[in-house]
Amino acid sequence: MYGKRLATVVMAASFAVAMAFFLGQGTARAAGNALSPADQQCLACHSAEGFEKKLANGETLSLYVPGPAFAKSVHNAIGCASCHADITLENHPPLKANIASIRENQLALTKVCQSCHADIFKQYEGSIHAALVREGNQSAPVCTDCHNPHAVMSKAEYDAATGTPCSKCHDPIFKAYAVSVHAKAGLGCASCHHAHDVSAATTGDRLKNECLGCHQDVLAAHQKWLPNAAQHFETVSCPACHAPGAKLKVDLRLYDNAGQQRLVEKVGVPQFQSRARFADAEGTGLNAMALRSLLRGFNQEGIKMTLRGRLEASTGPGAHRLMDKSQAIRNCAKCHQAGASPFQSVTVSIVGPDGRLVRYGAKHEVLNSIISVDSIGGFYTIGGTRIKLLDWLLVLALLGGIGGPLAHLTINWYFKRYAKRIGGDEDS
Amino acid sequence: MPRIYVHPLPVRIWHWINALGFLVMLFTGFQLRYIGLIDVLSFRTAVVVHNWTGFVLIGNFFIWLLFYLFSDKIRVYHPELSPLKHFRATFRQAMFYGYGIFKGQPNPFHVSVYNKFNSLQSMSYQVIMMLLVPLQFYTGVLLWDVKRFSGMINALGGVRVVDTAHVLIFIFFAGFIPFHMYLATLGHTRTAHLKSMLTGYEEVEEEQGGGK
Repeated sequence: MYGKRLATVVMAASFAVAMAFFLGQGTARAAGNALSPADQQCLACHSAEGFEKKLANGETLSLYVPGPAFAKSVHNAIGCASCHADITLENHPPLKANIASIRENQLALTKVCQSCHADIFKQYEGSIHAALVREGNQSAPVCTDCHNPHAVMSKAEYDAATGTPCSKCHDPIFKAYAVSVHAKAGLGCASCHHAHDVSAATTGDRLKNECLGCHQDVLAAHQKWLPNAAQHFETVSCPACHAPGAKLKVDLRLYDNAGQQRLVEKVGVPQFQSRARFADAEGTGLNAMALRSLLRGFNQEGIKMTLRGRLEASTGPGAHRLMDKSQAIRNCAKCHQAGASPFQSVTVSIVGPDGRLVRYGAKHEVLNSIISVDSIGGFYTIGGTRIKLLDWLLVLALLGGIGGPLAHLTINWYFKRYAKRIGGDEDS
Repeated sequence: MPRIYVHPLPVRIWHWINALGFLVMLFTGFQLRYIGLIDVLSFRTAVVVHNWTGFVLIGNFFIWLLFYLFSDKIRVYHPELSPLKHFRATFRQAMFYGYGIFKGQPNPFHVSVYNKFNSLQSMSYQVIMMLLVPLQFYTGVLLWDVKRFSGMINALGGVRVVDTAHVLIFIFFAGFIPFHMYLATLGHTRTAHLKSMLTGYEEVEEEQGGGK
């Protein structure tokens, strides 16, 4: 007990000396990678490997700061006190554990980052990552999950080859991406997804625009051989053809037919999932009637909802395995024939309040049903999603068109043969 | 046998381009819709041929339209305004094709320069030329460039609605064209109507000879 108190006193004393030094010379920064005297004082304790503290919730927080890495980091220029301004001579080291958890510490430090990087933080706040944090997702990344604050590198030094830091959470996607044409060209995740304002990949046109941002003449190149190329660009995601191994599916998206706006779930009043579950009485996926009734539920006063389809890779790793254009799918029959694999998996979606898609499964037969003509008005693939009832009508028309004349000929022949017997003219 | 000039040259040119074009459209339409079942052309080739033939047919339609708009022959398309007369003639004509023709009875309809369609033809050609063909051209053009015409397509209920209309008319023509070809063989000889559509002259019965 006495020893513990003595250690605390010694630490406090040495910290007091350090802080006096630090406060006195706070603005005297060292040149280049050299540490300032004040920071050297901090690191006198914090550069000891294994330096850590127990938190209130039992977690262990590392207090270790690798000196050489910090010296090289861009934050060396501002020094320890700029971020840890809450630390004073009186409160450090704290006698009581005043950090509830590692997560709470990270969230608190996020505010410190924001104080200097306000513009970047604003971008982050609009991201899917920040939306997840707001929802209380404990795994959603904050600043310190991607950036080690004591070894912050310049953007140019991020290593595209390892995918760090994205691969920490998105490892399966990164492994798929690693063999892609983009990875081989040295592009990193942020090249397409942006570093801070990362949006949900399946929402909006942003990712497609990223593709078109670099591949600027690509529409004209497709128009040379692909009929309705502009429509394909709208309805088919780039990976659907350019990641040839990806399993594809159709996502039917709710739009208001008048304003051509994608329907967004209202914050706090989620309706889509509950309405879809209600419509899908059997719980086996929405059939054509259920889909129709779901849509009717979303029809607003005078505004009719419709579904537009988009062909996309069914998994994230599949979507990232983009290959050289020589390997892209050019065979129209991949989609334009009955039973084509992309139409065997169907979801219906709406944009959730956080920007992510909220999906509900549908039976693939909805794409071939006459009942869906109205509800899935915005999606049709010649051959691939043809309406079965029309096939039967065509058979009837052909039977009538060919069978009618054949029957007429047969009757005519019959009359000729038996004309005398029934009193007609033989030469009819 | 006396003959009268019932099919002027522009009409014959229009008819044969139209006939050939419709066969190509039907065939490529089948190919597009049933790839895997029919594999004569690749999907892309079928699209290109279908599109180009469609535009040729649209241009060709105007040969027909302008000829009749600027000629007194438009009278052949004048509808019979008396429903009683129209339906009586239609019934008579249907009875002929359905029964009388087998017994060798004379065709109740007598062709003339300004009255070359029997009431069955008159009714069906008006629906076909004034409604179905223009509608098929219209929906076809919309589907030719879905993105360019997306405003109109959305106003009509979406690409699936437009395509369904296009396919329904395709189905009608798939049934109608074989029927039309068969009916063309029911003149006073099997090839009489075919010859008249090539030469312009239709042979008529003696007592009608002065009808030119």
